[in-house]
Amino acid sequence: MEKLLKNKTAIILFMAPTLILFTAILLVPIATSFYYSLCDYDKATRAYSFIGFDNFSKLLKDPIFWISIKNSLFFLVFSCVSQLIFGLLYAALLTNIKKGRNFFKNTIYMPCVLSSAALGLLWAFVFHAKVGINTLLAGIGIKGPGWLYDIKGFITLPMWVIAFVALWQYVGQSMMLYMAQISGINKSLYEASYIDGATKTKAFWYITLPLIKPMVGTAMSLNAIGSLKFFDLIYSMLGDKTTNLKMDVLATFLYRSGFSSKGGNHYGYASAIGVVLVALCLISTFVINKVFKTENYEM
Amino acid sequence: MKKLLAVVLAVAMLLGMVSIASADDVQEITWMFWDDLEASSDLITQGFKQVIDRFNADYAGKYHVTPITTQLEPYYTDLNALVDAQKTPDVFIVSPGPNLTDYVAPGIAAPLDEYLEADGWKDTFAGDAVFAQQTYDGKIYAIPLNTAAACVFYNREIFDAAGATVPTTYTELLDACEKIKAYGKTPITISAGTAWCLSMLAGYLCDREGVDLKALNANEASWVNEKTIAAGEKLVELSQYFQETAAGDSNDDATTALYMEDAAILIQGSWAIGQMNGGNPDFEAKCGVFQFPAIEGGNDPNRVIAKSDSLAMSSTTKYPEACIALMKYFTDDIAQKYTAEVGGKIPVTKVEYDADKAPAQLADVMKIFGAASATFGFYNESLVSSDAGSYFDDQMVAMFQKEKTPEQAFQAVQDWYQDYFAKQAEKAE
Amino acid sequence: MTAVTAKAKIKESKPKVKTSTVLIYILFAILVVLYIAPIVWIGITSLKTRPEIYKDPFGLPTVLQWENYSFAWNAGKLGTAMLNSLFVCVVTLFFTMMFGSMSAFAIGRMKWKLSGAAMMYILIGMMIPVHCVLIPLFVRFAGVGLDNNLWGLILPYLTFSLPTCVYIMTGFFRNIPNELLESACIDGCSIYRTFGSICLPLSRTGLFVTGLMTFIGNWNELLLAMVFIHDDTRKTLPVAVTKFVSPYQTNYEKMFPAILIAIIPSIIVYSLFSNQIVDGLTQGAVKG
Repeated sequence: MEKLLKNKTAIILFMAPTLILFTAILLVPIATSFYYSLCDYDKATRAYSFIGFDNFSKLLKDPIFWISIKNSLFFLVFSCVSQLIFGLLYAALLTNIKKGRNFFKNTIYMPCVLSSAALGLLWAFVFHAKVGINTLLAGIGIKGPGWLYDIKGFITLPMWVIAFVALWQYVGQSMMLYMAQISGINKSLYEASYIDGATKTKAFWYITLPLIKPMVGTAMSLNAIGSLKFFDLIYSMLGDKTTNLKMDVLATFLYRSGFSSKGGNHYGYASAIGVVLVALCLISTFVINKVFKTENYEM
Repeated sequence: MKKLLAVVLAVAMLLGMVSIASADDVQEITWMFWDDLEASSDLITQGFKQVIDRFNADYAGKYHVTPITTQLEPYYTDLNALVDAQKTPDVFIVSPGPNLTDYVAPGIAAPLDEYLEADGWKDTFAGDAVFAQQTYDGKIYAIPLNTAAACVFYNREIFDAAGATVPTTYTELLDACEKIKAYGKTPITISAGTAWCLSMLAGYLCDREGVDLKALNANEASWVNEKTIAAGEKLVELSQYFQETAAGDSNDDATTALYMEDAAILIQGSWAIGQMNGGNPDFEAKCGVFQFPAIEGGNDPNRVIAKSDSLAMSSTTKYPEACIALMKYFTDDIAQKYTAEVGGKIPVTKVEYDADKAPAQLADVMKIFGAASATFGFYNESLVSSDAGSYFDDQMVAMFQKEKTPEQAFQAVQDWYQDYFAKQAEKAE
Repeated sequence: MTAVTAKAKIKESKPKVKTSTVLIYILFAILVVLYIAPIVWIGITSLKTRPEIYKDPFGLPTVLQWENYSFAWNAGKLGTAMLNSLFVCVVTLFFTMMFGSMSAFAIGRMKWKLSGAAMMYILIGMMIPVHCVLIPLFVRFAGVGLDNNLWGLILPYLTFSLPTCVYIMTGFFRNIPNELLESACIDGCSIYRTFGSICLPLSRTGLFVTGLMTFIGNWNELLLAMVFIHDDTRKTLPVAVTKFVSPYQTNYEKMFPAILIAIIPSIIVYSLFSNQIVDGLTQGAVKG
């Protein structure tokens, strides 16, 4: 069998399509993008001229860049923390009930499969200044805040709103992953602990949590990268008002610099932002994996 | 399951191949526009759709035009992407000013004088002045399709009930706003979140103060001067009369506030007429129009912000005659009549239209436009580059949000300009 | 229910309803409302007229404006958009599963030195955001005539869907017991037969999960579709929905029917297959 598994032709055949696609559609464009980030794209002559790291130094001086970093990091942290807490909470609670578990699970997971763009438009309407929740609140005498345009504070209100919507949409994914992992834990472990007199909470803390640590790492990596790449929801909810409302994240900043009719077509600058984005993704994945690295316990 | 997938794939590929139709001797051209012809409820867009349909019907077998539509936001980016890919649309819409310059300077848009001179096409236009913004070095590079003027729309009923009179000066405007506020309605509705709306107001204030844009663009003056700062301060002063949700309202929301009679005043272009009357048919009778007020001791108050959509032709098009034929359809009597009577925009040709059919507000707008001593463009379309325009917009919004004082905001614009001129000087070496 | 209460339940025949259970049910009932209410509300709003939306956002429409739906369908060319989306997603699905499982098999079961490196290469692909490759891809594709072409969408979708597929399928392939492969070998199977006739069927669940995730992810993709496709007749569904935002106004009452038309198929498909999705995720997650 060894010979079979070492069949060079087969290996090449199996790997070729994937590797070719990857190189052509990911590697080469990324390299090109890196090159562009070191160039200045002139709109008039449509030419790229090499300018070294100028784009990056310009980025460091650009206030919008720092705002988008701040926002992106906020979403990163909020997403990881809130999805961990709520995903785990829901998963733990749901494993305790039998009837209706599937129904609840499916309902909460459903938004994950729906288009972010459509959901963004939907929630933008809910939080609309004039015709959304505020109308309901006005009905009971409360004046609703400017959900999507209040720019006061370090972390503005629209940020919390959008972070909440993102949580609403994706907590189901984390929940599912945790439920899967929890259901894989051997019941006898729990039984043994109850015989020893442990309460449910203690059992959760000392058995469940450690055993799902690997899944926490996976789920968090997914969260981290997803939140750094965050674009669809913000774009649908705020459109081109992101900059004026200090709501840019790296992805919207990239889009605006590269593709928006307002001050766009700066492909060099946009590519530089892209490089920063990739770097952040790599760093956060690396960090998360280091933190959650555990051996696989015998389950 | 795999077999099913294979079948589906085969069918799909077959369909794909079938859809690659072969063209005959029909000259195929493309026309690019910034709104969807089917889904939009904008009346001008619907008028354009009729033009396209008429053209394709009348020239069936000879010419055929396929519209390429995008959203407004990514329009220029998409257009540029096509140009980069050597697939410039044969005819495309463009705003005059730096945006048009972006296509004239590198030779992407073709000069149209010879076509205008032939067949007396040029004579159908209302005058040489309509080509003012489309002329570079004496050559005309785009055809204007319609003109819209930015004026002040107001609700007559609210004014009367509040005891406010139509203002002709800035002080009178403030006075009217106070009365309306006391009456309990929002004085001014505006979309401060959509940068160009706010910047339109800023442009008017600057112009009324007497800001000399030509000098600024030639680097012969600084953006930080008493006139700009005075204009900025007035903008901030006016903002106390904006609706509470101004920062978050879209242009749409702001206009709705006017025709739903929540607010009394809207500073907008006449393109909004169709939207207003369509949204609330009762509103047309109550809607009045007045010219943007003068500032005491300031500049000529009869200057009006005007904007015209223009069509340019690609210099690499294979079928210039087809393109010109299409352009002529946009400026023929049927289309221009529609522009006025239904769209509520000002036609560019000498066409006679039925003023009774046209929206009531158009007559008022035409009066203002007719009495105008000169027109000028949106500030964000009249600066040294389109990027400058965006930057200016953002600074105005920052000023409104009280993030920056007028001095700081205009200083930022000045810094940007200095940066720009420095780069231009470098390139010249 | 914990093991203790379960045993208690067997002993007594009267099950006690714990307060904690009741609280849990209440919590989830609230959550369900939170999840379904917005969609229901949009459904109601989609049947109103423009003035109604502004005057009475939370009330019921006076007359059900079904024309909103037919307008949205026709004007937005939602039917064509759906077909385009379907074409792109099905083709992407097919090739993703084919190429992905092939590579997963090579990495997961076959013995060669660079398998680890290859896996790393592919996983890094998971981390690349689409925005970074957008510009170079577009220019390159335009050069070879792939712009405004659905195949120009399929290629990037395929490439971006491969990492997930490889990751999941590798897990499944690694769990196939050695003995099965050995017995196939003894029976004289070539490596290709081993792959196709034995391993693939055994990993059916993995294929199903990957398939679903790939399909759904690409069905909802917006950015690439927006930038690459210009022709109205070739636009995919998410792009078609954004068409209702015009330069000067937003057509709420026409947009919401479009949104609903766009997400209801997803909801239906999801409801039908949700249990399989869960099973697959469970197996894939625990084993991977």
